Amino acid sequence: MASEQAVWTAEVRTDDADATRTLAARLGAGLQAGDLLVLSGELGAGKTTFTQGLGEGLGVRPGIISPTFVLVRIHPSLVGGPDLVHVDAYRLDSAGELEDIDLESTLATSVTVVEWGRGKVEQLSDSRLEVTLLRATGAHAGEDLVFDFDETGEADPRTIRIEAYGPRWAAVRPFGS
Amino acid sequence: MSAPLPTAPLVLGIESSCDETGVGIVRGTELLANAVSSSMEEHVRFGGVIPEIASRAHLDAFVPTLRSALDTAGVTLEEVDALAVTSGPGLSGALMVGVAAAKALALATGKPLYAINHLVAHVGVGVLDGGDLPENLGALLVSGGHTEILKVDALASDVTLLGATIDDAAGEAYDKVARLLGLGYPGGPVIDRIAKDGNPKAIRFPRGLTMPKFTGTAEAPGRHRYDFSFSGLKTAVARCVEQYRARGEEIPVADIAASFQEAVVDVVTSKAVLACREHGMSTLLLGGGVAANSRLRELLAARCASAGIALRVPRPGLCTDNGAMVAALAAQVVMAGGRPSGLRFAADSGQPVTAITL
Repeated sequence: MASEQAVWTAEVRTDDADATRTLAARLGAGLQAGDLLVLSGELGAGKTTFTQGLGEGLGVRPGIISPTFVLVRIHPSLVGGPDLVHVDAYRLDSAGELEDIDLESTLATSVTVVEWGRGKVEQLSDSRLEVTLLRATGAHAGEDLVFDFDETGEADPRTIRIEAYGPRWAAVRPFGS
Repeated sequence: MSAPLPTAPLVLGIESSCDETGVGIVRGTELLANAVSSSMEEHVRFGGVIPEIASRAHLDAFVPTLRSALDTAGVTLEEVDALAVTSGPGLSGALMVGVAAAKALALATGKPLYAINHLVAHVGVGVLDGGDLPENLGALLVSGGHTEILKVDALASDVTLLGATIDDAAGEAYDKVARLLGLGYPGGPVIDRIAKDGNPKAIRFPRGLTMPKFTGTAEAPGRHRYDFSFSGLKTAVARCVEQYRARGEEIPVADIAASFQEAVVDVVTSKAVLACREHGMSTLLLGGGVAANSRLRELLAARCASAGIALRVPRPGLCTDNGAMVAALAAQVVMAGGRPSGLRFAADSGQPVTAITL
């Protein structure tokens, strides 16, 4: 596993949360039962926003909110497709603790999206997409400190990197080179 | 000829939707016992509730908590008129323990069982502290898992959800910001305490879903007029912390905590008061664990007073999750002639507020 190579990688920039959601919806529309996505990014990077977009694309019941408190939320498909299983693995330390929440039982019939899942869920499937959301980080040395973070409607850009692993993605490439 | 409705039924209520195992006993609107056992300390290590730990803890705690409630109330199971249990919403594994225990008790004693909505029970508990709830009632529920505004037209039969969070619950935002500031779990009490030493105006953090495109007007309400969002606030706190780190400067934890808390409390209270005004609700009941937050109570009291809205806040032991609230709401259902739920219902982790009983 350690020497595993991505079959492809893609990097996309989005200007705001709506654009992130739209991009994820495009990806979600092409997902199938059994697909596994691992989302990485700091608190507030947009992992839940990205998952909301995936849900739109998949056509699951809307109202995707943070799974942090309950660890796992299942959003049933409204279009006869796979359900969306939305997981927050932040508080789970090991693969053993993840076993307790029994993702395997829903994996084959659902799209499974695991926030904070890197290094914990790879063994669930031979294929996966690793999605990393990067927010432009705070001020650089020399810039003035900011004290006003109010919603201004200004751009709030993200860089979204997608790395594909395993046979499922070898011939499937949702985003251009 | 139907029998007259009972006036003060003796009801035993069971709560296990999250990490508190609660058994409460009421006679009508009179509180007789409220025994609660919490698995919170076991969750501290993980920085939050772990459903499997909670489920096991409910199993261990159930019988002792039941015994303690019966002892305190000075009643026996045989004397109880009805049993009640939280059927949802909540963590499914945790709910199942309480539901299974309640069904077993109902089967063993032959008593009628009522499956009760957890969120509406947070409102129903109001009758135990301050007596009957008035007409034109609204409720603001704020806890680790919930942030909701309800319109309560009839406690036992007619409750509407006016607004809810679209991403993180308020209590969850406190936990995540505490994580960003290195303050540990749970975040609510520690941020409330540290905020007292900070300047709430030092940093202007966003008030989620308050822009006109989301709120609209009273006549043409926007999609999220009474909804909450705490995700952008959490991101703003992360950016704020980063800029100090990037410069190698000390992070002003107290000012950030105070400014964060002010942003949460400002938007929660202003949307609750707005909903009351626009839906003719003249009394607002505050419930849920975050009702213990000092700044939330202070600002909500001030804003309700200036809007002419009466505010009811049950005492803290009744605001956090407990069994008495389940018993209190079930007693209201019994007194209103509601039917028992039988033994065929299942726990529903997503039970909507419109399903007051199953």
